[in-house]
Parts: sequence; C-alpha cells; structure tokens
Amino acid sequence: MTATPTAAQFEKPRTVLGKSGKALEDRLGIAGGIRKQLNKVFPDHWSFMMGEIALYSFIVLLLTGTYLSFFFDASMGEVKYEGSYTPLRGVEMSRAYASTLHISFDVRGGLIMRQIHHWAALLFIAAMTIHMFRIFFTGAFRKPRELNWFIGITLLTLGVVEGFAGYSLPDDLLSGTGLRIADAIMLSIPVIGSWVSFLVVGAEFPGTEIVGRLYILHVLLIPALILGLIGAHLALVVKQKHTTFPGPGNTETTVKGERIYPIYAAKAGGFFFLVFGVLAGIGGLAQINPIWLYGPYNAAQVSSGSQPDWYMAFLDGSTRLMPSWETHHLFGHYTIAALFWPTIVLPTVLIALALAYPFIEARLTHDHAPHNLLQRPRDVPVRTSLGAMAITFVMVLFISGGNDVVAKAFDISLNAMTWWGRIAMLFGPPIAYLITYRICLGLQRHDREVLEHGIETGIIKRLPSGEFIEIHQPLGPVDSHGHGLLEYAGAPVPKRMNKLGSVGRAVKGFFRPVVEKAEIQEAIEAAEAEHAERTQPAERPSVGAGIDD
Amino acid sequence: MNTPRNRCANNAPRFRRDPKTMSDGSEQARDDAEIAAVDFQCAVPVTGAEDDDERAEQPRRRRDRPTPSGPVSRRSYRRVTNAFVVLLGLFMMGGIYSLLASASSAQQTARQPDVARGRQLFEISCITCHGANLQGVNSRGPSLIGTGGAATYFQMTTGRMPAAQQGPDQARKPTTFTADEINDIVAFVQSVAGGPEKPTGDLRNDAAMSEGGELFRLNCASCHNFAGKGAPLSAGKIAPGLNDATDLVLYTAMLTGPENMPVFSNNQLTPDQKKAIISYIQSLKSMKDPGGLGLDRIGPVSEGLVIWVVGVGLLMGVILWIGAKS
Amino acid sequence: MPTTDELDGMTAEEAMFAGANQDGVQIVHRRDRFPIPGSKVEKRAEFAVSLAFAISFLAAIGFIIVFIAVPFEFHMPGKGSQTFAIYTPLLGALLGISLLAVGVGAVLWAKWLMPEEEAVQDRHDGASPVEEQMLTSATLISGLEDTGLARRSLLKSSLGLAGLGLGIVPLVALVGGLIKKPGRQLQTTLWTTGVPVVFSNGARVGPGDLQAGGIATVFPGVPGGTTAADSPTLLIRLRPGQVVRPRRGQAGFGWGDYVAFSKICTHAGCPASLYEQQTGRLLCPCHQSQFLVTEDARPVFGPATRALPKLPITVQKTDDGSTYFIAAGPYRESIGPAYWERR
Repeated sequence: MTATPTAAQFEKPRTVLGKSGKALEDRLGIAGGIRKQLNKVFPDHWSFMMGEIALYSFIVLLLTGTYLSFFFDASMGEVKYEGSYTPLRGVEMSRAYASTLHISFDVRGGLIMRQIHHWAALLFIAAMTIHMFRIFFTGAFRKPRELNWFIGITLLTLGVVEGFAGYSLPDDLLSGTGLRIADAIMLSIPVIGSWVSFLVVGAEFPGTEIVGRLYILHVLLIPALILGLIGAHLALVVKQKHTTFPGPGNTETTVKGERIYPIYAAKAGGFFFLVFGVLAGIGGLAQINPIWLYGPYNAAQVSSGSQPDWYMAFLDGSTRLMPSWETHHLFGHYTIAALFWPTIVLPTVLIALALAYPFIEARLTHDHAPHNLLQRPRDVPVRTSLGAMAITFVMVLFISGGNDVVAKAFDISLNAMTWWGRIAMLFGPPIAYLITYRICLGLQRHDREVLEHGIETGIIKRLPSGEFIEIHQPLGPVDSHGHGLLEYAGAPVPKRMNKLGSVGRAVKGFFRPVVEKAEIQEAIEAAEAEHAERTQPAERPSVGAGIDD
Repeated sequence: MNTPRNRCANNAPRFRRDPKTMSDGSEQARDDAEIAAVDFQCAVPVTGAEDDDERAEQPRRRRDRPTPSGPVSRRSYRRVTNAFVVLLGLFMMGGIYSLLASASSAQQTARQPDVARGRQLFEISCITCHGANLQGVNSRGPSLIGTGGAATYFQMTTGRMPAAQQGPDQARKPTTFTADEINDIVAFVQSVAGGPEKPTGDLRNDAAMSEGGELFRLNCASCHNFAGKGAPLSAGKIAPGLNDATDLVLYTAMLTGPENMPVFSNNQLTPDQKKAIISYIQSLKSMKDPGGLGLDRIGPVSEGLVIWVVGVGLLMGVILWIGAKS
Repeated sequence: MPTTDELDGMTAEEAMFAGANQDGVQIVHRRDRFPIPGSKVEKRAEFAVSLAFAISFLAAIGFIIVFIAVPFEFHMPGKGSQTFAIYTPLLGALLGISLLAVGVGAVLWAKWLMPEEEAVQDRHDGASPVEEQMLTSATLISGLEDTGLARRSLLKSSLGLAGLGLGIVPLVALVGGLIKKPGRQLQTTLWTTGVPVVFSNGARVGPGDLQAGGIATVFPGVPGGTTAADSPTLLIRLRPGQVVRPRRGQAGFGWGDYVAFSKICTHAGCPASLYEQQTGRLLCPCHQSQFLVTEDARPVFGPATRALPKLPITVQKTDDGSTYFIAAGPYRESIGPAYWERR
C-alpha cells in the first residue's frame, strides 16, 4: 500500500507531477471540486450505456467530418470530371459531386473516412433513438428531469436535420432527388410556401446555392448547437445524478455504483474505443452511399428505389401512404398541397407530443413528485403500451418508406404494399396497445405470484393423499398459510432457482460457470471479512430477500 | 398407374422436343434424344418423391431400358448412383453454361442459322399462340409481323417465350432451347415477319461509356435502378434486374421494348448510344466495389438494416458485456 | 475532515475512503480481485489484458503499412491493379481490430484487475432550503429596486422598444438578404410557342424518331433548356389502339400518336418516368403515384392529385424538307408540386 504524501511533501513537492499539481492548485484551488467529480458514483446497468454510444459516435463524426472538410468543395459550379473513376469521366457535374468522387477515389484513405463518417451518422441517430426508448419506458423523463428530456428530443431532431443536410452535400442523383422533395415540402407550406422555398434555395429549384448553404449548416451551425446541447445534457446528468432501478443502495436519496475514477472511467474509455472500433470495421467492410453508382444530380433523371437514410424513411413512408387529398380553391384559388400533411404536420405533431409527454403524463396521473428511481416497463402498462403504439405507428411508416424494396424482394404488388401500409398505420397501433397492455399485466401478475408462492423448484412431491405437488421456494418470510409476506418493490423478482445465488459471488461465465480454486476462494473470503470489518462499522444496506440486482 | 411421364413434377416445361422432327438424327441418336427428352421432362428426379410401397409394386420403368428387378439393396444402390449421376450432370451443365455464357459471342458464330429447322421448331413450340403465318391467334398470342428477329431472340433467350401462361407480363426463366435452336427460330421469324434484326458483332462502345452512363440514368435507371437492380412497377408488374442480361439481351430489349418496356428506336438511341449504354451497364456489373461489401448496391435500405442489425446489435452485446457483474 | 496529522499516517486507500466520505460517498464493498498477489490467475489476467494492447499495436502497424504500401487507385476490371477492392476493407478491419483491442483491453482491465467496488452516494438534490431561496429572491428583488425599473415606466418602455428594434434587426438582415420573390417562375417554364423539342444531346426530335410504345425525355431547345429543372418532358408515342382522352380545353395538344407530358411529378417533383408501354401507366418512383397516360395522365393511385401537365406539340417543316416537333404553346398548368398560390 502506498502511503499518502505527507503534509510536508505538499508544501514542497519534489516530483514534476507534484510541482505542476501545486502550481495549479495555488492558482485555481480546485482540489476539493476535482475530488468530488472523481468520486462521483455512476450506477452500473447495461441500459445506461446507450446514450454513450450516441456521444461516442458524435465524437467520431467530429473527427472524420473535420478530415472530410479538408477535401470537400461545397460548390454547385459545373466541372467536367477527369478523375480516376472511369465510368463518369467526361461527365458534367457539380464541384461538390466531383470533390466527393475525389475523396472516394483519389485521396488515399479518403473513402474509409467518408464511410466511417456516414456509418457513424446512422449509428448516432440509432443510438439516440434507443436511448430515448430507454428513458421513455423506464420513466426517467419524470420530474425533475423534464428539461433533459426536452434537450434529448431537440438533439434527436437536430441530429436528423444534420444527417439530411450531410447526405445532401455530395449533390448526387439520390440525395438530389431527396432535396427536390424537400423543396416540394417547403413549397407545400400554406401561405408562405413559395417564399420559403425561394428563400432557402435562392432561386427556383435547384438554383446554385443550396449545397453551399447546407454545408455551413452541416459543418458549423447544427454541430455547434448539438455540441452545446450535449454539454447541457451531460451537465444536467451530473447535477441531477443518474436515475437507478430500485434495489439495495439504490433509493430515492442514494445511488449505488462505481466511482468515476478509476473503474468507471476505464470502462467508459474502453467503450469509446469499442464504439469507434465497430464503426471503423463497418466503415471499411461495408460500402455506404456509393455516390459513384448514383451519378451526378440531374433534374430529368431519377432511379427507382430512391430512398432516404433510415431516419428519414418514416417521412417518405407517410408521404407514400397519404391518400390523394389536396385542398383546391381554398378562399377562391388557394391550394393546400397533399404533401403538407404527412411531411410538415405529422412530424410537427410527433415532436410536439414527445416534448409534451412528461407534462401530459404528470397531468393524467397527478404525479408531481420528483422521482430518482426508475420504473420497470411492466409496472406502468399504460405508458408502455402508448410507447409500443407509437413505435408501431412509426415502424409501419418506416417499412412503407422502403415498400418498393420490400415489394421487389418478396414479389409483392406495390399497390398492395401501399394498401397494407394504410391499413396497418390505422389498426396496428391500437392492436399493439392492447397486446402490450395484456403482456404487462401478465408479467405483473407473475411477479406477484412468485412473491406469494415462491419460486418453482422443479421438485415434485407426493403427498400421503396421493396428490402430487411442486415445492416452491419462498423468497422471504411466510405467514401461517405459507404465503410470502414480501411486498413488490419495483425491482426484478427472481423467477428461477439459479437467480437466487446471484446475491453472493456466483459469477456466471458466458458459456460455463466460473469457479475459482478453493484456496483462492478461501483467501477471498478471508480478505472480504477483514475488509468488511475495517470499512463497515455501521450497518451495510441489507440485501433484500432475493432481489437480483 | 404412374408412368414416368405423368409422374414428372408439374413444373416441368409444357412442351417437348419431338425427336422425329430432327432431320439429321440417326436411329441411335433418335433413341438417345428420346431418352434425353424423357429425362428432360423429369427435370426434378421423381424417385425421392415416390411412396416406397408403391415403388415396390410398380418398379420404375423406362421405355427403352430393361426393367430393373434386382434386390432392394441393388435398387437403393441404383438410386444413389442415379442421384450421383444427376448431380454430376447438373454440375457439368453448370460448367458448360458458364463456359457458354462467357464465350457467347464465339458460340454464336458456331453454326449458320437454319431457317427450315427454325420453321420446324416454330411449328412445334410457337404456332399454337402465334399462328401458322405469325399472324397471332385471337386471345392466345399477338401477331409477330414486324416484330423482327431481335424480339424473338430476346423473348426466347430470356426464357419468356414459350410463355408459362398468357399475358403481357412474362417473367424471366431458364430457356429450354439451345442457342442454335433459338438462332434458327430467329432466322425463320425474321424471314417471314421482318422487323428489327438481331444485331451482330461487338455490342460494346467502351470509349463512350460515360455518355452511356448519362443515357442510362436518363432512360433506364428510372425502372431498372441506378445499379441495374430492377424495381416493382404498378400493381405487381416488375422491371427486371439487369444482372443476368448479356450484351445481346440488353441490345434487343432496347430495340424491341419487350413486355411493358418502352421501345427505343435507332433514331432515338443510335446503335452507338445503345452500345455505350451496354458498356456502362456491363462495366458497372463487372466492377469491384471499392468500399467493401456492396450490400447488393440497393442503397439506404440495406444500409439502414446493417446499422441496426450489425452496428446496434454488436454494441448491445458490448454494453451487456460491460454492464455484466463480474 | 481528518487532520493533516491523521492523514500523514494513512495509506492512500485509507485517505481515499476519508475523501469519499467527505463527498457523501460510502464505499460499501471493496475487494481486490486477487488477494494473493502474483497468483497464476492474476498473471493470466494481466497477460490477457496486455495481449489485447499488443494486438492493438500490431493492427495499428498493419494499418500504417497497408495505408502506405497497398495501391488504392481505382481501375476497371482488366485495366489495372484491382487491389483497391481490398484496400478499404483491409484498412477498416485493421483499424477496427486496433481500436476494439484497446477497448477490450481497457474493459477487461477494469473488470479483472481493478478492485471490485460498490459505492453508495447521497443524492443531495431537489430544491434548496427555504432560507436559501428567500435570500436569493431578496437579492434579485433588491437589485430590481435599485434599477428602479418598476417605478420608471418611461425608462421601461423605451428600453423595451430598443430591445424590440435590435431584436428584429438580425432577422431582417438575414431574411432581407436571402429573400427572393418567386414571381411567376413557378408558373412558367422554358417551353413557349415554337420552341424546338430536342433530345438531351440537343438533337431535334422528329415524328420518325420514336416507335410505337416508345418514350423519350425531351427538353426545350433553348439555352439552358436541358438543365432547367422544370422543363424535362416525356414524349410518348402511343401503341396502335391506344387513345388519349384529352382533358377539357386541351384537345389537339397531341400530334398524331404522339403526346407530351411534363416529366415532373405533380406530387413532390420527382421525375415520374416508369412508363409501362402496354398498360399506359406512368409510375413515380419516389412516392408511387401512378398516372394513366391514356386518360391524359390522370392520377389513378398514390398521393398525387393532379394530372401531369400536357405540352401542346405540333410539327415544323425545315428548309431541307424534314419535319421536327415544336411546342405549340406553353404548359397551361404549373409544373411539379403544389403550392399555396397555384391555380
């Protein structure tokens, strides 16, 4: 054991580290503050790491994006391509497209940077989405964390806009088709649509400015906003501390886990490399956005199977499913385009509902108390079912966004796919609600049953009367009828006998149980006993009966 | 009573080459051809599908072969060897097919087309729907007058003709004719009906490949997709993928506008432009993907699938591992 | 807080406990993974973690070698080295292995070699004590009183005006710089009476150029005609027997068995160009609106509501005796997607 430096050593440090530490401390006086952060306890649950995936993808995006900006030329000026990709040589194209080809074919290592960047963008939004699901289904958005829920929804929205702006930059035929639709969406806004379109595009579509404008949005404005909001998001997590599932040590007033330094930091740092590594692997092994196959944008050309990236697909789907309802001759001779409803109104409503949800729920449940403990989805069947309903709705739109690919792959009529989508969009969500609700109730009931009657042991006993019964292992004290007295406390209830061992040191390996050698096991126990004596004079939070944490 | 013929799986081709019409067949060749024809009909070996009891009572018969009557062990031995022979045959067919496909232009000049033989083949396989004078048969098949040998070549090479069922939407399927036979029919139709001729010579224009690409994206990609993957059209019709299409098939398709595909006349797309388009399509198909796995080159849909299944899937595994108690 | 003398006598771990206590953190469970130092199991664990880092190093070296040494230039098959096809995958695999190995190493280090620990921290959150709140609000109120804003209404309203004015300035500056008057640009195209109909390469189109069942994308033969986004037009030659029922007021817009419709979908502006020559259907690949050419490009399925605008065409005889198509007039309807002022 290393001894702490003595007070005298602090006065006159000898080592370089000590000297610089003292220099800093003399000027800033931050020793206490830093120790507080190093000692901060972060709860340990796998589902708390989804947001980190998004954070790390964003860092990868910043790194690779900066590299790409050294080569990309966000100009719509026309050039004749003379690079090394033969099938396009001699074709007239914008500088944006030509420079993207240049990055892909004539910059050493440029293609893998492009591909990691694009894959990271897809992962960034996917990770934000699953992180949002976790927050939603466990009730982590409740008071006092509504503000962080807002920031999260804003980040997700900004991420989608950022992604769209990014994949539109190369000015290829696929993204150009997407931009054409985006212009049509702007045109569809009542009253000011055509003015908005001309303001953004700078002329009648496509003009000569849109790529340059999207570029500055993509590399400066939106990333700066995202970065700032991520900072606020994390600062709030630090200030309010992480929510936890109920369990020993995890209560409304305490949080249990590992201190940031060093264990949690090592895990989180390693996790960053794991996320980056997965992205680098996919980025090199799987081709993404092969713009050389799509060709340069040309308003007269189009390819079948033109889809947006996955996070925009639900808007494409809603547009495909929309019946041909257009308002003509409004107030004499004005028009509300069919496009307005599925592409402006629908996403606005979805975002507004998401933002308002914490307040809607608080209003309906009359629950205005602050909550630091998470709920299991089954314990809040209405919210869980509403979530399942929303996911089903968006999934139907999402599938419809690729319904031509589905139709081609499975030899289904395109028109039938459209009708399937229209029907499923209406009837799928309520069905999902009902099914989820019943599943939640069933799971709840099973938890109560185990608490009351104990765990099925698999041991069958024959009574003197001839009756066969299965022996149940009670989880805690029982009353005179053998019924458990434990109350359900919102924590997972062990359902199998082998779960009961998990309170101690029953480590499960991936394929086989990990058993340590007898002498080591003894040493561990001895050390543990000694340690407990030393560090735990007071009561250690008792481990609740059978609670598998 | 099951005879080999009606025991054939019902996906066997509808027509059958009649050996008697083969002008140059000797007696032995005719016999072989007949056997081949029977074998051909039973493209799916029926032995496995049969009930064992039934087989015991009704030994398998072949017209010109001695009826096998050995012990059971010998039959099963035969079954194994049959299966082996079939496998070997399939294997060799595959090999021969790939050889033919790669050397199709060399193979085309192997033999001069024979109009008379083409007529004979037409009268067996096509006459029912297209009529004796190619004038078409009401409610069965359209007139072929003016369609030309190019259309005949396309329809038969891609297996669309003879049709599996009537209607304007014929799906690609393996052809049942040899290249020589198709050429004979093509020559016959051309001689009677006139129309766009099947082109000859080199159908590539590599020098104008990028111009071909522009024309491809303007005229073809809207249905066949930028990477030639095809797409669904309205109400169940499809524009097929171009993966299997040879130069000649692409050329004749543009020239004749089969099924629902528009016609691209030589005034609209000159032969040089058509060849440039072919150069572009074939170079795209033969080109290696520089960025790793091509994900079938269908764009964002497969990319979205990969990030959710592989990317998110892997990282879910990672967080379960990191979060697991140790 | 322990005194310096007490701290002088403590090990680092003991002092850490004291510090954690200071921060409201109770370390309820802490144990070295390997109570017997230098055991075989510990060495094996340490070796495994080191192995991960070593693998990372080797993969990084491999990445550098591949990056520098492998030819990456693109070539068509048979036209040169094909190593570009493995260049990016190799880079990805090596970089991926290198990064993953560091990550795995770090996590294993934490899981295998660092002490097992469970700490409980008090949350200390929620609202501040009421006294604290009262002091803060008093400070705010007193400050407001010092400014006298509540009393000096003239000051208040004039400051409000200044804020309002300056708030609008950036908005005006931004919008004022960006705004463009749409004018009649959305209603008009380059097609006017007498404009020649040309192919994408500028060649003029005559009645003999398409065969029955043919379709061509044609452009106005004026400068910029082949690149203007609202001008691509589909020239269709109908099959024998196909008749187009013209919409009201537009009889005679076709010429012979030729008809011309805007290629730009009336729904979202994609080129609607998947033409089925036998059924006469046109499909838009973006949102699958379907138009029936034989009913004058009326939408029959999908989200589009308006028929494709029809271009009146006729022929013109040139001096050398050949005939070519020209536009007999502009489009009568707006091209492409709908907007508020569209009639």
